[in-house]
Amino acid sequence: MERDWNVEKAGPDRRGFLKAAGFSFGILGLAGCRTAPVERAMGFVEHPPGVTPGKSYYYATTCTACTAGCGVLAKVRDGRPIKLEGNPGHPVSRGGLCAVGQASILGLYDSLRLKQPHIGGQAAGWERVDAELGARLEAIRKSGGAVRFLSRTVTSPTLRAAIARFLDGFADGRQVIYDPLSCSAIADAHERTHGVRAIPRYRFERAAVIASFDADFLGTWISPVEFTAGYSRARLPESGHPAWHAQFEGRMSLTGTKADLRVPTSYGELEARMREAAAGEGETGRRLRAARGRGLVVCGAQDVELQMLANRMNQELGNYGNTLDIERPSFQKQGRDADLERLMGELEAGKVAALFVYGVNPAYDFPSAPLAKAGMLVSFAERLDETARLAHYCCPDHHVLESWGDAEPVAGVVSLVQPVIRPLGTTRAAMESLALWSGTPRTVQEALRERYGQTQEAWEQALAAGYIERETPVERAAYREPAQSQPLQGDGGSLEETGFELALYAKPAMLDGSPAYNPWLHELPDPVTKVSWDNYACLAPAAAAKLGVADGDVVRVACGNEAVELPALVQPGQHERVVAVALGYGSRLSSRFAGVGPRWIGSRATVGENGLVGRNAAALLRLAGGALRYTRGGATLTRTGRQIELACTQDHHRLTVPEKLGAHPPRPIVQETGTPVPEHHAPERDLWPDDHPKRGHYWGMAIDLNACTGCSACVIACQVENNIPVVGRDEVRRKRAMHWIRIDRYYAGPQENPRVAHQPMMCQQCGNAPCETVCPVLATVHSSEGLNQQVYNRCVGTRYCANNCPYKARRFNWFEYAREDRLANMVMNPDVTVRSRGVMEKCTFCVQRIQEARIEARRKGVPLADGDIQPACQQSCPAGAIVFGDLNDPESRVSRLVRGGRAYRVLEELNVRPAVAYLKIARGGEDQRHG
Amino acid sequence: MAEYSVLTRPLIEGKKLAQVTEDVCAPLERRAGPLWWGAFLASSAVMLAGAAAVAYQVTMGVGVWGLNTTVGWAFDITNFVFWIGIGHAGTLISAILFLLRQRWRTSVNRAAEAMTLIAVMCAGLFPVIHLGRPWLAYWIFPYPNQRGPLWINFRSPLAWDAFAISTYFIISATFWYVGLLPDLATARDRAQPGLRKKLLALASLGWSGSYKTWQRHETVYLLLAGLATPLVVSVHTIVSWDFATALVPGWHATIFPPYFVAGAIFSGLAMVITLMIIARKLMRLEDYITLRHIDVMARLVLTTGSLVGLAYLTEFFTAFYSGNPYEEFVFANRAMGPYAWAYWTMAACNVAVPQLFWFRRVRASLPAVFTISILVNVGMWFERFVIIVTSLHRDFLPANWAMYTPTVIEVATLAGTFGLFFTLFLLFCRLLPVIAIAEVKGVLSYGNREGKR
Repeated sequence: MERDWNVEKAGPDRRGFLKAAGFSFGILGLAGCRTAPVERAMGFVEHPPGVTPGKSYYYATTCTACTAGCGVLAKVRDGRPIKLEGNPGHPVSRGGLCAVGQASILGLYDSLRLKQPHIGGQAAGWERVDAELGARLEAIRKSGGAVRFLSRTVTSPTLRAAIARFLDGFADGRQVIYDPLSCSAIADAHERTHGVRAIPRYRFERAAVIASFDADFLGTWISPVEFTAGYSRARLPESGHPAWHAQFEGRMSLTGTKADLRVPTSYGELEARMREAAAGEGETGRRLRAARGRGLVVCGAQDVELQMLANRMNQELGNYGNTLDIERPSFQKQGRDADLERLMGELEAGKVAALFVYGVNPAYDFPSAPLAKAGMLVSFAERLDETARLAHYCCPDHHVLESWGDAEPVAGVVSLVQPVIRPLGTTRAAMESLALWSGTPRTVQEALRERYGQTQEAWEQALAAGYIERETPVERAAYREPAQSQPLQGDGGSLEETGFELALYAKPAMLDGSPAYNPWLHELPDPVTKVSWDNYACLAPAAAAKLGVADGDVVRVACGNEAVELPALVQPGQHERVVAVALGYGSRLSSRFAGVGPRWIGSRATVGENGLVGRNAAALLRLAGGALRYTRGGATLTRTGRQIELACTQDHHRLTVPEKLGAHPPRPIVQETGTPVPEHHAPERDLWPDDHPKRGHYWGMAIDLNACTGCSACVIACQVENNIPVVGRDEVRRKRAMHWIRIDRYYAGPQENPRVAHQPMMCQQCGNAPCETVCPVLATVHSSEGLNQQVYNRCVGTRYCANNCPYKARRFNWFEYAREDRLANMVMNPDVTVRSRGVMEKCTFCVQRIQEARIEARRKGVPLADGDIQPACQQSCPAGAIVFGDLNDPESRVSRLVRGGRAYRVLEELNVRPAVAYLKIARGGEDQRHG
Repeated sequence: MAEYSVLTRPLIEGKKLAQVTEDVCAPLERRAGPLWWGAFLASSAVMLAGAAAVAYQVTMGVGVWGLNTTVGWAFDITNFVFWIGIGHAGTLISAILFLLRQRWRTSVNRAAEAMTLIAVMCAGLFPVIHLGRPWLAYWIFPYPNQRGPLWINFRSPLAWDAFAISTYFIISATFWYVGLLPDLATARDRAQPGLRKKLLALASLGWSGSYKTWQRHETVYLLLAGLATPLVVSVHTIVSWDFATALVPGWHATIFPPYFVAGAIFSGLAMVITLMIIARKLMRLEDYITLRHIDVMARLVLTTGSLVGLAYLTEFFTAFYSGNPYEEFVFANRAMGPYAWAYWTMAACNVAVPQLFWFRRVRASLPAVFTISILVNVGMWFERFVIIVTSLHRDFLPANWAMYTPTVIEVATLAGTFGLFFTLFLLFCRLLPVIAIAEVKGVLSYGNREGKR
């Protein structure tokens, strides 16, 4: 076809363009470091070389919001990064980016970020810090005092080397690594079964049978974006043999919602279930045996015994080397909890002369940690978190978008970090601080060039791509039957028979609490519970009924001497004996939200009585027997009689109507199909002539409900892209969240163990749009390309369109939402209007991206190709569940999906002709609708 | 003037022509009593509270109401439809009953028409203040503008509303004013020289009372009655299209136009009864607004109430018979869902209570009639609330289901419109003849001097 050779000859493609862009910025960055800040903002008088004002440039870098090391492209507009996108070529994340990663750009423009070093809470200059600290370190060097460097997992080889060099200068210097969401038991187990202390790289894309024992691998476990990409690839129904997934868990996790077989299992029963599967019993055991070498057993328990059992199962099933790779392991979780336990003892004994804290917040994670007993506490925190408040010296690190760096998340992949903006404050890279204090000052880029930059050309190519793939020496690690292990001492892991089992877990958006400064993530409804701005005690329906508590009743969760009071939330599918509480809340970083949201006579505060968002449940966490324990038995629950109304975006959870309102069939909104899926879909024919034929493009979308995990990355991606305001807890409670894309969650089947469906829902860009006819002022009109357009400045705000929208996809600006933080406003997308009070808004299919791609294609003189346009939601989706494209092009991906056997449209019978098609869920061979 | 049968009992007995003028005009010429002042101060205080609520809402945004993404309309449009409905009885009495030669209307038509105008004013407030940007409300009218070739959307029922209501207001006001002319002239002639006389002279447009004036007046009045008659049907039909043309289950129903018109007349007549019972007491008009008038209106309330009850049943039947699960659910949810209390309040007040009017003794008891008339309007307010809120709050996708609770601002706004209504009505009672002097003189018992049947 004509188009094909046109594209070939048209100059650089997108990848090439990005490479060139990355290169030119790299040079700019190298040349432009450390100059005096510009005093006044002035317009460009002369065209800056390589940059066209008003045009977006993308630079490859690496996300450091967690330690998974996903590749990102930072979108920079006029010198200002405004969005992060998944790096499509990245070997770990494969183009996806999670909600936390998407939201991390807001941290750059956080006006409460530490802009300069502090000594004892007072702002100070680097010279003073370096002088004082240098003197004190010199004293420690001489006295031989213990220096401990407490950090989270450090995936950066360069930083690891810098830390090692720094600690080498002391007689007793040691690095202690812990992850607040620890997986150290996996590494400990491999140390005993394989002789290497490492976490294998799990390859879900190669698995045919996945058995997960309390591992929330799609939500928060190790590397969710990577795993989601692999998982959704393995589970594609069209492949003919979608992977089968069994989940054994006590609470309802994001991963559990996707399972073909989900077995509510108390943590005490987990071992029995694993042994059963190991013996080849039960459906899971049978299927694992049948899929030798293509099975995958994962275990999320922080229990070395269980992890060793999982290793043995994987070994016996021949999975090592296929679905999990211990020879090229993952470095995404390096924590060794035993070291942390030892450090706590040393601190308690007052033996630590200097404690450096990097990337973690131990004062929050362990409220009883004796940090104050360290002779000197130095924090590298970007914000004044609990630890930084205690620190003698705060030496704030750069935001990742201001930094150089590297990361090696899995063996053989180095992901590079390059700055895309000059530091906004006088922060300094931790690596440079360490190098300075070691007496060998060196910039990060020097260190990087030394490590990776063999030739200038190779270095530039690597920077443009964002990563380097290289062969690493394979660590030979063979399974050997471990010596008879000694049972754990004391209260190691035993789950008492009485009372509740307490499970501390992490929410996909709040993780360990490190993003607690981020309003987007607080406002993002939890994918399973749909509650925002809070943590709570999840209870099984039966347990709640027995206790006589309903949603919002405050209960006291007590375990040993520790207790926390939280509102209850009834969670279908949870094991009756389990009470689950999210970590990451009640952080000091959340005190800033006291003023969030519109204030009027009826408004209520976003923060709770403690002035914070939620409550910190970390006191219930145990560090015992060499592992951080997230589950424990013997928990008691008592009612307090108080109530907190939770900010839940979804009141009703089922597609059937309440029972007392009569027997109705389930609404066909979420549909399921069996496997193999039918091949043909009857084409829709209409007797009426098309009164508005779309002759050019006809934009449409297909959303694969089978792939969608509900992770909500798209929600935040949309929020960043489209300047969506944060409205605060009270407004969410009033059902006025502003997200243009939301994820509807439905339960089907028995309350004890329902099937769950996630349905991303946004404006369906209807062909016969009910909103368009009712607007009296023509503020919402149809484009010739099938888009339903909202004209903000024409809208007077009758809300009739929203009432008449069967999907309720429209969002109204009930108030003038606050945009006073001028620094935070820097993150706004200049291509998208900021809406004022009183107007309606909704998903536009990212019309600004359509236009940008169209202009770019026109400039290059080539036609728009399928895939040139990706709305923000599609771009971010780790599962690749969203496909956008031209429905008039029969060969486009979206057209093929819409013609496929799984496609249907929600509320098709209303004849509103939505442009969004959904692909049915194909679950474990059953053919059932959601009910 | 038409001929009257001497066999018919006169509507108003024992009054002479001069006495009628005296009775109606005298209250306008003496100082207001404490009862009027008390009522006026109370209602204007409530009105001011409502004005404060509206000012706050316009300043802050519609968010100070209890609405949400799912329930985009609630108190605002409920109040709007309620007040528009109230207005209908006035037009019915003044226009349709005039054409049907129902002479009993003469005692109440003036006040009922005034009520119409005031109710439309109360109603007209809501389409403006419910907007997100009320200062742009005029964009809803098609007028030549500087915003390019952009006009309004003629397919939108809200645009039809704007035409229907503005037409209604203009015609009703004209009709009322034309009917008022001879009485304004009477008041002018009785007034002491001064400002009041000058104003009345201006307002009565030089009425001379000549034969020709009367003839033209009667012609115009008849024509205007003919013009106003279709409005009784059209306005509430168009208001009902706000809902009927939407696809929301519970709104999308072809029965809505007749159902809404019947409901409007029903509520309007109940309001006329309420007001007349107050006015005859306040203005000492017991001889003009007699129990016979009350009785006739009570019968009309019974008729329209039964029509409304039939409409409720029809709606349920249609839902059941449609086989449409969304439609079926909406009605099950109305009767048994979280807003069932509102539904059953409506059903009790609108269908059950008016059935008491089958009994003559109830119709003859002023306290009973007064109570029922108020209950009917409570029920009719809830009818609109039920239609709007219970349809929206649980529509197609269960994930969107939400509850609606009004805020204090909304309650104050609703109360404020009642304050506005009564304030204006009390002013009307003080400033203008409450009874159409010229018309009521036609139904006196003269020609029957001995008072025989």
